[in-house]
Amino acid sequence: MNEELDSQLSAMFDDELASEECELLARRLSRDEQLKARWGRYAVIGAAIRSERGVRLNAPLAGRVSAVILAEPALATGHGARRAGVRWWQPVAAAAVAVGVALVSVLWLRAQTPLAGAALSAHLSAPTATVPSAAVVPAAAAGAPDSYVVPRAPAVRAMAVPSIELANYVVAHSVFSSPVTRRNLLSAFMTSESGSSAEEPRDDAQSDVQ
Amino acid sequence: MPRAMSSSERFVALTLAWAVAGAALAEDTSLGRAPPQKTSLESAPAHKTSLDQAPAHWLERMNEALTTRDYDGTFSHWHGGHVEMLRIIHRVQDGTVSERLASLDGSGREFIRTGASLTCYLPDKRTVLVEQRPPDESLVGFPALNDQTASFYDIREVTRTRLNRRDTHVITVSPKDQYRYGYRLWIDDSTAMPLKTQLCDARGHVIEQIVFASLTLSSHIPDSAFKPEVSTAGFTWLRNESAPPAPGAPTLAWNAMRLPPGFRMAARSAQTLPGSTDPVDHLVFTDGVASVSVFVEAQRREQADQPSVPESATVGSSSAFSTVIDGHKITAVGEVPPDTVRFIANQLAREPPSVGARRP
Repeated sequence: MNEELDSQLSAMFDDELASEECELLARRLSRDEQLKARWGRYAVIGAAIRSERGVRLNAPLAGRVSAVILAEPALATGHGARRAGVRWWQPVAAAAVAVGVALVSVLWLRAQTPLAGAALSAHLSAPTATVPSAAVVPAAAAGAPDSYVVPRAPAVRAMAVPSIELANYVVAHSVFSSPVTRRNLLSAFMTSESGSSAEEPRDDAQSDVQ
Repeated sequence: MPRAMSSSERFVALTLAWAVAGAALAEDTSLGRAPPQKTSLESAPAHKTSLDQAPAHWLERMNEALTTRDYDGTFSHWHGGHVEMLRIIHRVQDGTVSERLASLDGSGREFIRTGASLTCYLPDKRTVLVEQRPPDESLVGFPALNDQTASFYDIREVTRTRLNRRDTHVITVSPKDQYRYGYRLWIDDSTAMPLKTQLCDARGHVIEQIVFASLTLSSHIPDSAFKPEVSTAGFTWLRNESAPPAPGAPTLAWNAMRLPPGFRMAARSAQTLPGSTDPVDHLVFTDGVASVSVFVEAQRREQADQPSVPESATVGSSSAFSTVIDGHKITAVGEVPPDTVRFIANQLAREPPSVGARRP
């Protein structure tokens, strides 16, 4: 893949590509499997980077893609699909699917990475070694090796429970939280899936000294 | 041609706005002046003992202030690069706690508590959840800090500083391991109200922040302050209308076989959640600062045939994890790292009722 194409792809993902170039590239995306795969990787990488910085995926682009898809009657209804050649929205719709995959990937990454699950599992198990626990003692008695490979954390997917159900749990749990954590929890629930961007606050205690 | 503000510029502008608003409001409200009525906190002896000034004591005073004082405040909530303004109104009248928390922008969600009734308005879901708690279940039943808590958190006063023209004590609650989060709190010297709160991970990085822009400690808050602004026409109302199982009714006894260090079971109850008729076993584990709720409910028939894949979610800095054990859906929710709720949920097992949770 040439450098110019790569650059165009990057610019398209960042919503910085001119609309006419965007359409041309979208057409090419529809027939170039390698380019499609590269787009998918860009989506995942970009989303992961944005997730780390607390910035969401490119909203204008995602919004435009959604608008295009919804505005397209053939796709919206699933009937009467017109096959008069490749239309420009088809590759964009494919790109939207890639973005969707990226979002799922980000959720998965967030579920997996915050505290290095496998390492923490080892930590969690460690304190139990001082207690005559049935789960620990037999292994030691059986001459288990001094070192072992920490098993991979089982696959975890983003919770698919209805948000109402999660709301129920949060509200029920809030009753038993300490006053300050209850306020934090409920505030987070009030603001989840909404809000505007802002930079990370400074975390030094001296920042407010006057 | 004017250019759009960058996110950093927006944040600075917002910060300045809050600072200005806070300073201006402080001139007009009780934050800037003595409250109109003396309260038990302010009428405390001027000569403080060393115990009064201990960092942990400031946390207890803060918890007491948050739960017993009447106040009306506006604050910013920052998490994950997003900031939103909220308003909180809290009143204790004749022993009944009323509280209203509302999102001022964004979702428009509201949470209102009146005594044992909790109502959550979700305009984005066009739904209202109403949960009626047992009347004898205290909403202020959180365990006090004790020596064991100090074993798992390092509690210090790192400095005294001024915030919004108020003298504050900066108290840090630092976890000694990765099973829990830490806090950095700016506690008002005279009222013990937390004017700023940062939630930090085990490395001390801020992951959530709340800063009051205005706060009024009012001597009178009318009932009208606890009315929702949300129009609920056409909304679905979900209530827990089914009575919880009677105290003597036989129920499955679930318990955690092992818990992260310092956690212990603080409460358990059988209840029904809004919109459901199935009983749920609700277990609460706490280390004195953080708490984790575990909900156990029998899998529905239509779910039983589906493969059980563990699921996780986050609500701000709080974590949720759901899995299936022995035909029951286990969901843990708490203001702790994701791996802590996952560990606790995976440790749930059915046990005879007389057996308590074993701690490692």
